[in-house]
Amino acid sequence: MNDRWFVIRRKLLNNIVWILLLIAVVLIGGMEPSFFTPRILGNVLSQATVLGILSFAQAFAIMLGLIDLSLLGVMSFSATMGLLLIERGAPVVVAIPVIFATGALLGAMNGLLIAKLKAVALVETLAVKLTLLGAFLVITEGRAITNMPDSYKWFGQGSIGPVPTLPIALAIVFVVVYVLWNKTPYGRSLYAVGGNENAAHTSGIKVDRVKIIAFTISGLLSGISGFLLSAYMGAVTSTFGNSYDMNNIAAAVIGGVACSGGQGNVLGVLGGVLLLTVIQVGLQILGVSSYYVQMINGLIIFVAVLLDAVRLKTQHS
Amino acid sequence: MEDIILQVENISKNFGMTQALKNVNFTIRKGTIHSLLGRNGAGKSTVVNIIAGIYRQNTGSVLLEGKEISSYSVFDRQNMGIKIVPQHASIVPDLTVGENIFLGVWPKKRVFVDWKRLYKDAEEELDRYGLHVDPKKKVGSLNGVDQRKVNIIRAMHGGAKLIILDEPTTALSSREREELFVFVNELKKKGTAFIFISHYLQEVVDLSDDVTVIRDGKSFPGADGEVLNEEKLANLIAGEDVELVCRDPKEHDKERELLLECRNLTGDILKDVNISFYKGEIVGLVGFPGSGARELCRTLFGMEKLTGGEILKGGSRIRVQNPSDAIARGIAYVSYDRHKEGIVGLMSIRENIGMSLFNTKLKNRLGLIDKTKSEQMASGYFEEFHIKANSTEDRLDSLSGGNQQKVVVAKSVSIEPELLILDEPTIGIDIKSREEIIENVNKITEEKNTSVLYLTNDFDELLRTVDRILFFRDGRLLQDVRNQNLSHEDVIQIRDAVGTDAGKRTEEVGRI
Repeated sequence: MNDRWFVIRRKLLNNIVWILLLIAVVLIGGMEPSFFTPRILGNVLSQATVLGILSFAQAFAIMLGLIDLSLLGVMSFSATMGLLLIERGAPVVVAIPVIFATGALLGAMNGLLIAKLKAVALVETLAVKLTLLGAFLVITEGRAITNMPDSYKWFGQGSIGPVPTLPIALAIVFVVVYVLWNKTPYGRSLYAVGGNENAAHTSGIKVDRVKIIAFTISGLLSGISGFLLSAYMGAVTSTFGNSYDMNNIAAAVIGGVACSGGQGNVLGVLGGVLLLTVIQVGLQILGVSSYYVQMINGLIIFVAVLLDAVRLKTQHS
Repeated sequence: MEDIILQVENISKNFGMTQALKNVNFTIRKGTIHSLLGRNGAGKSTVVNIIAGIYRQNTGSVLLEGKEISSYSVFDRQNMGIKIVPQHASIVPDLTVGENIFLGVWPKKRVFVDWKRLYKDAEEELDRYGLHVDPKKKVGSLNGVDQRKVNIIRAMHGGAKLIILDEPTTALSSREREELFVFVNELKKKGTAFIFISHYLQEVVDLSDDVTVIRDGKSFPGADGEVLNEEKLANLIAGEDVELVCRDPKEHDKERELLLECRNLTGDILKDVNISFYKGEIVGLVGFPGSGARELCRTLFGMEKLTGGEILKGGSRIRVQNPSDAIARGIAYVSYDRHKEGIVGLMSIRENIGMSLFNTKLKNRLGLIDKTKSEQMASGYFEEFHIKANSTEDRLDSLSGGNQQKVVVAKSVSIEPELLILDEPTIGIDIKSREEIIENVNKITEEKNTSVLYLTNDFDELLRTVDRILFFRDGRLLQDVRNQNLSHEDVIQIRDAVGTDAGKRTEEVGRI
């Protein structure tokens, strides 16, 4: 049982994302040396930001052994709320908190329905996503919202000194989630509930509260992603954030968050996010036809699921 | 040689660098029950998995009726008559008894299932093995012992020569156990051989024809011609003399301060239960499943709802609606189901021990977990409970059952409870771990004046651990007996008598 090879194999599987990332960087950089220019690397980090924050949001649900499909809907709906306020003359300092609050509130609603009413997360969040995306169409009648002041766009397009704002946001969220998961009673309770809900309950952990908070934070993070993406793109459209839809699940799972819950770490999720972004950007600069991109995305999710299965198998053998 | 069904000869097995089995030898005769005993992690399951063909041994051979079968697959061996009935019944609860018996081998009419024949055949099978249930009933609606029987009948139906029963009694009441043993003995008489794996020495001694003890991967014959003897087996398993911990009888009738008073507790099962608990005493609970014994434990811990009655502590009423309330009021609980309600296997020993205190004692002023404190606490209990692992950072699922259970008990003790409720705390664990747990329980009643509720179906263990015994039936507390000069048989007698007229009459007298 304490077989050394077994331990090494498990460690390897849990950190495989970094090996894959290294391989991807070397391959792409080898074929196209311009990949290593600061402009492209900066681009990778900026593109990684929205996917990253969304993947952290997803990781909260996956830690509980659940999947949250509503992220994209929450993200676009929250951003829309803020931008509609701006259109009606509200200042940016009011609009931004409204975006965050809308996300958190929608997340809290998911959490309440899932924890208290025992709604099935997959279906409940799917319903929320479809409703919110539909609500966007109803409210805007399909038009894109592009009306936003420069002070708003700065959060997505500006920089502090030489560093662009987006990676800074990613770094801040990363640190906060990292501390939350690893150092706080809440984080450890999240692991316990994900690992064995009944045992956590019997240990006096308030399981429902842990779940509701997880979904609330997940909603908040989706709101933040919506805010950053709208500022980056300068618009909210009906296809807002589509390319992040399933990739956030893939990133979290490739990064080592087990689909069965209770296992994973924030750094791994960041690794998964970087891997997926490097591949995306790599395909672009290598000039791979966009017809291939979706198929490759599918294959990546496939790899993620296989990895998860193999990891699980190693643990139980 | 004709009466030998299975020979295991000089089997060795390595997993990577660890040698799990070293030259294991034993022989199983036709129509006998052969028990395999050993601590968790001693190698029992490895032996069984090699016999079943799940693992392949490195050296040695397995012979079925004289024929070497090492190269055959699990599936081949099943067809040859080696069947496993796993610890957790492998039935599909939502399918009927008949379907479960014929799962995978449905009788067919062309491509469709021939239901008529299936139920007719099922009825014959059930009749033949003396299980009188409707084959059209869903298996999930049967009780535990009948589910086991369906499992065994399924194995028999496929032509079993050797049936491996892996801890078949863990989830059963003692009455169901006896029922299962009668059933197994019937099949044995018809020539089927059994490998029986259990932690309960008493039942092993009662049931077995032969015993093999596995210790540190080596095999030891449990009896060489002699009659099986519980104490001798216990020593063989442990590899040393295990001294059974006995509570000082002086503790039984000490004067004690009142801790908790329950008045008219009523719930789904409980009916009008009145009982007081005193500081530093150990109270045993006895009753069949659904009798109220376990329900009292879980109600006091807030895991089952009260519909009436009240709990008083220090004269004032306390409300316990969930485990976190209970823990805040100094009540701790160890569940009978360690895997379901005890451990988080993916987390470390340290975090499992500290789990009830994440939000209280282990939180520092910044709102973060105080790692130093959590380490100190964990290593304290690590020593005190003699937990066997490399360090407190080992993951819980890497420990043996006995050590996992020590962690679960340590977690409950860590909240420094005034009332510690232990629901089958020694179920499915090895003898040494069991005695270490009992010793620690004894110690905290003396040192911390903690009161303990102790539920177990092992009455010998009960008698040497508790000060008084509460007997439950049909949700009612029917007798409250001091543990004075009681024997194993007395306990069974009182348990079976309570609820009958004789039992009811003593009800009033029995209470203190």
